[in-house]
Amino acid sequence: MILKLDPTVIYETVVTVFLASWFLATILCQFKETKISWLIRYKIDFFNLIPLWTFFAPHPGKRDYHLLFRDKISDADYSEWQEMEITEERTFWSWLWNPEKRDKKILSDVVQSLVASIPSYREKTGNLNLLMFSTPYIIVLHAVSQYKKRSQDCYRQFMLAESSGYQKETEPALILLSVFHQM
Amino acid sequence: MILLNDISQTVLIILSIGLLISTLEYLKKVEIFSPNGLLSWNVMQLKWTKQDQKSFLKPFFKLFSAQGLTVLFVIRCLLIIGLFFFPLQSTTGWVLISLLGASLLVASLATYYGSDGSDQMSMLIIITLILCNLPVLASSKLRDIGLWFIALQACLSYAVAGIAKLVSSEWRSGTAIKDVFSTKTYGSKKATLFLQKYPAANRFLCWNVIIMESIFPLCLFLPWEFALIFLIWGFIFHFFTAVIMGLNSFFWAFMATYPAIYFVNHQMSWHLF
Repeated sequence: MILKLDPTVIYETVVTVFLASWFLATILCQFKETKISWLIRYKIDFFNLIPLWTFFAPHPGKRDYHLLFRDKISDADYSEWQEMEITEERTFWSWLWNPEKRDKKILSDVVQSLVASIPSYREKTGNLNLLMFSTPYIIVLHAVSQYKKRSQDCYRQFMLAESSGYQKETEPALILLSVFHQM
Repeated sequence: MILLNDISQTVLIILSIGLLISTLEYLKKVEIFSPNGLLSWNVMQLKWTKQDQKSFLKPFFKLFSAQGLTVLFVIRCLLIIGLFFFPLQSTTGWVLISLLGASLLVASLATYYGSDGSDQMSMLIIITLILCNLPVLASSKLRDIGLWFIALQACLSYAVAGIAKLVSSEWRSGTAIKDVFSTKTYGSKKATLFLQKYPAANRFLCWNVIIMESIFPLCLFLPWEFALIFLIWGFIFHFFTAVIMGLNSFFWAFMATYPAIYFVNHQMSWHLF
């Protein structure tokens, strides 16, 4: 008996296997990072198609991030710290129309990525010098470098800090203080 | 003109509303992709360091400027509007959704930072609808499989979120929601004041979210009148996270999965009781 291959059946099988693999990969990439989940997330998932569904857990984001910078004009002359306006309050219509959320999420992602990488840089090199070559660090440095300089040959330093938003009982804390970068 | 008598079509229409809002939001904030912006491609391209990745990305370099992405987002808006007029199962509808999927995939390379779970759910739904509605080759059985996949991913997302909260001491002790609501990023002053005035509400809300998210997949197996309780809860949950936390795109992305959950629930040959 000759088995006749129907293109519809072949297509159906291929798509079903693909969707089943996608679902399985999603399950494998939740919770604890394993070798398989690392391989899927960092080597295969080029388009960020494997979601992490652990929203706001296990550690909910309970701090606001702040990005500040200042200029060094000379050894004795520093500008005041200036904050990049990112954590502005939402409007009444934010439940429907909220373009501001992107800036906040970008900074939050970048800072979390930086913070997460700090221990591994400390462990590998004993200091944070190599952190300056990481993409999140360069994104932050690039963002602050776009602001008007105090003088032509100044150096710029940035600071990442966190605060507890509307709860005033906790003091703002420093996350990272950069070196001075020539602009 | 499209009709909402097809479940896949209903999924697509709900998702399209959210995607249109999200794309218009990106257009409003397109300066983040300019050379001075947070996601300037001059910097973002550093993420891809390997030579083969660089050569793959080379054709997109012009596209990832603020002007290039403005064009892409405008085209995406037109594609989404087109989807309100052409049924998914027509050839034109399928071409429109495929181009929409391609635009989402390409733009995801530039929006690595700043995208969230709603973007991933949207992408997941769009790709599934493209694959399961290919003219000529896609059967009605495959369309059903696609709806199963969307419903299972939705249930997985709630269950994982619930379990991750259950193992968290901050969620179990009932402080997590108060802490999140007190941030300017995801909270609101009014909600913070309310939770400070009524501390019992913290614990209630935390445990309400933990329990309902963890057992959400039951909505596939319960008789429809009980399953509906989970979907109504989900609607209220996403509405309030949009109002209080500003997570508007989650509302549309997750509401789009509910018709698929309805479909799977009605396809079940047995229910729990």
